[in-house]
Formats: sequence, structure tokens, C-alpha cells
Amino acid sequence: MLPWVYGFTWETGNVLFLTIFYVVSGVILAACGIAARRALRDLKSTRIDEIKWHVDFEDIPSFAKTCRHVFTGELSNRVCHNGFDCRTCKLHADLTEVSRPTAPLDPPHSRSTHKIGTSVFGLRMPADRLYHRGHTWVRRESDGKLTVGLDDFGERMIGRASTPEFPSVGTKLVTNGTGWFFRRGESRIRILSPVEGKVVAVGGRGNGFYLRVDTGNDCDLRHLLKGVEIQPWIMTELERLEIALSTEEAGVSLADGGELVEDMPANYPGADWDSLLGEVFLEP
Amino acid sequence: MANNDSRNFPVVAEPEQKFSKARYGMIIDLDRCTGCGACLVACAIENNVPPDPPTSTERTGITPIRVYRADNGKSFPDNESVFFPVSCQQCDHHAPCVSVCPQKAVEVDPTTGIVGQIPVRCLGCRYCMAACPYHARYFNWWDPVWPKGMEEALNPDVSPRMRGVVEKCNFCFHRLQAARTKAAAEGKREIDPADYVPACVEACPAKAMTFGDLLDEDSEVSRLSKDRISFRLLENLGTGPKVYYRSEREWVRTLGEEVVATKGNVHG
Amino acid sequence: MDSHLVARGVKRASPGRFVMWIIPWTLILAIGLYATYLCLSRGLNQTNMDNRFAFGLWIFLDLSVIALGAGAFFTGFLVYILKRDELRAVINSAVVLGFICYSGAVLVLMVDVGQPLRAWFTFWHPNVHSMLTEVTFCITCYLTVLAIEYAPVVLKNRKLKEIPGFLVFEFELHKVMPILAGVGTFLSFFHQGSLGGLYGVLQGRPFAFREGIAIWPSTFFLFIISAAAAGPSFILLSTWMVSRLSRKKLVSENVYRLLAKISGALLTVYVFLKSIDTLTWLNRTAPGFGLSGMSFFLWAPFNVWILFVEIIVFGLIPAMLMLVGSGKLRLGWLVLSSSLVCCGILLNRFVMTIQTLALPTLAFDKFMLYTPSWQEVATFLFVVAYGTIIYSLSFRYLRLFPQETDLKQNPRRS
Repeated sequence: MLPWVYGFTWETGNVLFLTIFYVVSGVILAACGIAARRALRDLKSTRIDEIKWHVDFEDIPSFAKTCRHVFTGELSNRVCHNGFDCRTCKLHADLTEVSRPTAPLDPPHSRSTHKIGTSVFGLRMPADRLYHRGHTWVRRESDGKLTVGLDDFGERMIGRASTPEFPSVGTKLVTNGTGWFFRRGESRIRILSPVEGKVVAVGGRGNGFYLRVDTGNDCDLRHLLKGVEIQPWIMTELERLEIALSTEEAGVSLADGGELVEDMPANYPGADWDSLLGEVFLEP
Repeated sequence: MANNDSRNFPVVAEPEQKFSKARYGMIIDLDRCTGCGACLVACAIENNVPPDPPTSTERTGITPIRVYRADNGKSFPDNESVFFPVSCQQCDHHAPCVSVCPQKAVEVDPTTGIVGQIPVRCLGCRYCMAACPYHARYFNWWDPVWPKGMEEALNPDVSPRMRGVVEKCNFCFHRLQAARTKAAAEGKREIDPADYVPACVEACPAKAMTFGDLLDEDSEVSRLSKDRISFRLLENLGTGPKVYYRSEREWVRTLGEEVVATKGNVHG
Repeated sequence: MDSHLVARGVKRASPGRFVMWIIPWTLILAIGLYATYLCLSRGLNQTNMDNRFAFGLWIFLDLSVIALGAGAFFTGFLVYILKRDELRAVINSAVVLGFICYSGAVLVLMVDVGQPLRAWFTFWHPNVHSMLTEVTFCITCYLTVLAIEYAPVVLKNRKLKEIPGFLVFEFELHKVMPILAGVGTFLSFFHQGSLGGLYGVLQGRPFAFREGIAIWPSTFFLFIISAAAAGPSFILLSTWMVSRLSRKKLVSENVYRLLAKISGALLTVYVFLKSIDTLTWLNRTAPGFGLSGMSFFLWAPFNVWILFVEIIVFGLIPAMLMLVGSGKLRLGWLVLSSSLVCCGILLNRFVMTIQTLALPTLAFDKFMLYTPSWQEVATFLFVVAYGTIIYSLSFRYLRLFPQETDLKQNPRRS
């Protein structure tokens, strides 16, 4: 094996064989070493939330990853591969340039959008805010800070029995990282943060918002859903929920033509809520 | 497949060759062999082969030399039989067991042509046994145990083998070493051929076995090996064995040379 | 009870049912462990192998599981090197199967050799001319690669990934996976081939000996192709079986069809080459030794039928079914074909190991057979039980089939 081991020869075959062996072992070791070193570097950095989202995103069923341009009818079928981050998506940039010369976000007092925006399948989805795929909303306040809350769909799914667990004021949030948690019995449901920034205040169910975030001067919210996208998105979400519920052993389905009741967990206690909430809040 | 004539023994360069190059071989005269088994016993005693445990079978016991019986397949009165004592054939050319050993536990001694097994380096994978066409290799299926008192009679020149390793005939290599020591003590560069004879050859009551250096033109083995009636087992495989068999009988020669032919009347 | 360990969004059997499934396998495992202990403590006299049948059931098992485990390297090669993303649906399962097969083979080898503690001698004093040296080196390296490939699947377990260290290590390991898949492919090519070469080089066994290219006999290449053909078939078969046992749709039908197509194409090549090889051997190699190749098939029970079954029934028929019918035939036919392929590879490895040793070489020697002892069978079953338990645990707690949640949510896509 080594030149000084008894019986070693400098015969071509022997040298060739051992060289290949050492190269292969070296490559295997180097690959693991690189992975381990990078992992240590990641651990020290603040990228963990980003990595977690990246890892989770792969496991999200593709139906839940339908591209927003499918909602608007621009594309017939596309699955997002960019972690719902339209800001870095080339296709999104191309499509918005071509097909939306006018500002897509209509003023909230416009009658037509009021209809679409406010009540979607019986859910209150006001059009004055932007929506994240993890069922949070974002509204820019007059002071430039952002208010983050849970949308009506999320609120009904999480139910009254769950209590929020907030990050402390001053925590830095990452888009698609952890926003805050809900504790429901033994399980802990993660709510994705729709934006990045520093938490300046925390609220609660009674306050009408959950977090207030300071994003600094340049905040880019192009990745959030708005206007006409909301209705088809909610429809997809309801469909997803319907399927998830129907595969439950309890055999439940949504009542009243697919509308959500106020407190879903309280009304469907037989369902596997841990799994359902993981589904809805994109934590596979 | 080329029928390699291994009479052209490869010349292996040795930097400081103390003793001149030899190719030890053996001639077994099948017409003389009575199948008595004295060679087996002598071999076992000489090489410290432990007695087989009661649960062993003829297929698991260790018999570095093994006697097969075969006959010509005819019925009485034309029936004739022959005994084939088969030990390691000391292949000189592409010894099948040497190249397959994963850890160099089988080596051909370049000065003598003797195929040696190094039991302390053997892993016991038995690949060499699968490779050997003569089934001349034996595995130690049991721990070696001697009946009380018998260990006193062990040959001090041969180390016993442990369980789980392969062993085989090595032409009583320790006797060669003893002969060399003797020659060196006498200040000679050549050993006296009479000093180096394996135990089986020595024990054969019918004088059916002859041993010596095939390269030595004057030796009896060299003369007999070139004889018309001499042949080697499975010559066609091209392994160049250094054990020759002799028989005046045509059918015996055919039986020994051919590779699995007919289903004759054979008795292990 | 253990639901917090099961991946979200998938349903697994109740803990009680799972335990009921595991208990019988654990019993077999325990019996096998005892047999292994007997073999290691008392020696190989516990087996029915003998000086003539120096290789037996265990070597057959090693060759077989390593051939079936080839699915791991071949799927890895297709996914990471050739970028066939459809096969991502089965890559995790393939890696687990590969890991089970290779670790099982190494476990049995350690019992099979007479002096297991000397295994490192092969590394210290390698005889590079021996095919077994190549096999030992490659399998050791490849088992390491498989363990590293298995690690991310384990670290992605729902509880484990909550630990940030595991999460980022999994993420980073995943990035270097193409390198490891490449190394794995290289190693697999060599040791699958060397396992074939193991027999092909046996000049003293005319039944196994084959001529070839450079230092490699033809069996070297045949083993690579047959393993590459059987690997996808075994994945198809195992996925289908797991799907039936768990009553869940695990991969979409086109994945089954793609696997069948790959397997069918490779098997066609294999059957073609195997036929040429057999004819060359019958008409050139065997006569070169001065004997008729057909004479080997005179010994019952290994008559000519074995050649017919190996090449036609387990070769040509499934090859044609899968090659031509991978797009049209019903899934059942593809499953049947892939089980024929798996049987074929087992038969081929059986012939190479058992028939080779059963045939006499000396004209005055006998044709011999051997029956494995209960210790050998128990050790064999130990590996089967070990594999089943590892796979069951992996299936329960790890995400082996990424499409499973997808298929549950969106049945239209299938």
C-alpha cells in the first residue's frame, strides 16, 4: 500500500492501481470536507433561515408551488423553482415588462377591485395589502414601516386555540425565513416571514397585526401577490385544502360549497391538523 | 487457448542467488501406485496436519495429498483401476492460485519454482481454492487440536496452521531449508539431492514417486518427465504443473490429461 | 406516538401495525445473529461448505445483492450526471437500497472469510493482479460513498432537520452530490466488472473462463451491463412492492415506465452480448481447452435448460417486453418483466458461483453438489431481515419518495 511496506513494488500495475485508489479516496474525503467546512461556515452566518427555506421548498408539493403567472392566466402551467422569490426570477421580470404596462395595483377605492379584493370565497382579503404565499399579508404604513399579519384564510385555519410566539423586538427577519410561530397543543407551526427587516413591534390577534417591521429605505415587495392574483390563488389553496381534507381518514370535506368556517380546527377536530397546517403554511 | 509448454521455465533474475536455480518436480508412476495411502499419512505427520474431528467428512478434512481411484469403466474381467495421488501440482506457468490471492499470501519461489502458501497472511477467502483446477488446496475448517500427548510428536520444523486459513502441499519446503543449512555448513553451494526428498516420496512403499530438479539434465525426474509415457494432469489448461504422472496404459494417460470428459466410473 | 418523526403530509401505518410488521423480521434477525455468532466463534465448520465447494450460498448472495444494488449507482448516474430529473422520484429509495445491499454484502463477507480480522491485509499488501483486490478496494470506497449519500436522506428527517447543524450539513452535502455520484459510478463500473472478472479469469475452471480485452475477461463487461440493467428493474420492483404493501401511490406511472425502458434497453444490449459471448465460448474458448463446451451441460440438474432459461426466459422475453412495451403495456406486465430480470441476474450469479464449482475439472473427479447448513441459510436471511428493517424504518421516517405528497394532493397529474 505504501512504498515502505514490505512487499511493495514499483511495478506499473501496482502504482497505477494505488494511485487511482488514493485519488478516489482523496476526492471522497475532499467532497465531505468541503461540505463540512461550508456547513460550519453556514452555521456561523445568518443564512440558516435561507437554507431552511431552500431545503423545505424542495419538499413542498408542486401543486402548491404553482407560479403566480398561472393565476393571472399568462401561463397555462408552471411550477415555481425560485423559492417564491419573484425579485430574482427572470421570467417574472420578462412577463411583467411585457404584459403589464399599467400599474397592476388598482387603487383600493376602485369598485371592480373592491369586489375581487375584499371578499374572496367568503374570506376577507382586503386589496389594500400584499399577500405572501404562506398566508401572511403586508401593508405599508404611513411611517414607511411595514405591518405584517395573518390573512383570513390563515386565521381560520390556525383557529382560536393557538397562541402566537413572537420573535423579540430587534430580531432580523429574512424573506421566507421564520416570521413567528403558533403553538397548538404540542405542535409548533411556523409562519413564514413575507419580508426582510427588523422587528420593531409585535402585536397579536386583537391588535389586527402580528409584527411591525422596519425594512429600511429600499424595500422590494415585488414577490408578493396582489390584486387579480389573489382570487385564483385562494381558489387553488381551497382546492388544495379540500384534497388534503378528503384524503384524511376522517373523511371530512368543506361545507357550503367550499367555504371556510371561522375556526377550522374547532369544527373539524378529527382531521390531522399538524399535517394540514404544515401544508397551508408551507412547512413540509 | 495456447498450450503453453512450461518446459521453458521462466528465468527469474535474483540479485544474489545463494543457491543455483532449480525447478523441483515429482514423477508418480501410476502403474506402481497401490493406493495404500502411506504418502497421505507421512505427509500429515511430517507437516503437523491435525487429526480431523469426528464431524469432518472426506470433503472437509485436510489431505495435502489425496488419492483418487478411477477405473476404465469396463466390467469384469476387463475392469482395470488406477490410483491418482493428487497433491499441489506446483504449477509453473500462470499458477491459477497465485494471481487470484488478494493479499499476496500465495507466492512462487523464484529459485525453486515451489508454490508457497503463507498461512499467517491468508485471509481465508478461499478464492484460490475456487481457482485451483486440481482441488489441491485445503481449508482449515476447524481449530487444530491434537490428542493429549500427541503434540509432543509434532515436527518442530513446521508451524501448525490456524483455523480459517488455506493450506496445501509445498514439497516439504522445510526439508529444502534443512538441506541448504547442511550444505552451507559444509561450505557447499549446491545441496545434495539426496538430502531433499519430501515425506511422501520417502514413505512410498512401492517406490512409485520420484523427486528431483527438473532443470538438472542428469536427474532421474528430468529424464522420466520427458518420457513417452509421462503426462501431466489437465495439460490443456496451460498451467504447467511440475508433477508428472506415468503409465503404460493408454486409457490412464487420457483420463489424466483431459479436462472433464465423460462420466466414467470414478470414486473419489 | 411517533407521528412527530414521520414526514409531514404523508400517512404511515399506526405504530402498532408497524411493530407487528417489524417483530417477525426482528426474530429472523436474532436467529441470523446467533448463526453468525456460531460461525465466528466456532469457525466455518458450521457451514456445509467444503474444500471443493469453497464458495457457497454466501458468495452467491454477495454477488446477487451487489448486482441488485447497482440501481443506486445507475440511478445516481442518470440523475446527477445525465440530469434525468424524472428519476429524482426514486433516487432516495435507490440510495437506501444500494446502502442495504452493499452493507449486507460486506457483513456476510466478514463472516464468510476464515480470518475476518485480517481483512485489512488486502489493503496493506494488495495483489493488484487479483480481481478480488479490485473488488475489495472498490466496495469499501463505494460503501463509504453510499453512506455519505444516505446521510442527507437521514438528516432530512423531520426531527433531525430541526437541528441547524444537520440542516446545513444536509444542504451542503446535497451540493457535492454530483461529485460523489460520479465517483460512485466510476467505482461501481469497476467492482461490478471485477466481480464478473472474478470468474472469468479462472483459467483452471474452463466453465467460467472467458477470453477478453486486455486484462479483463468478457464477464467483466457482461457483469457491468447486466448489473446496470437489473438495477433499474429492482428499483421498479421494490417501489411497486412498497407501494402495494403501504397502499400508497409513491411515484407517478411515467417513472415506472422510464425505469422499464432503461432496463429494457440495457437488457437487450446484454442479451445480445451474452449470446455472442456464449457462442464464442462454446466454439472457441472451450475447444481451445480440448473439450466440447456442451459437455458441461451433461451434468444434471444443470443441463442445457439453464442456458435457455437464463438467456431466453429471463433475458430476451423481459427485454422485449420492456423495450417495446414500456409505453403501452399495463403496469403489471412491466412489474412481471422486471421480476424476470431480477430472477435472471440471480440465476446468472448462481450459475457463475455454484455451477462452476459443482463441475469437476479432473476427469476422475465427481460432479458435486452441496446443501447449505441452517447457519448459512440463517445468515442469508439475516441480511434479508436487516435490509427489510432498515428499509421499513427509512420508509417510515424518511422521505424516500418525494412525489408521494404531490401525488396525494394532485391526483390528476399522475
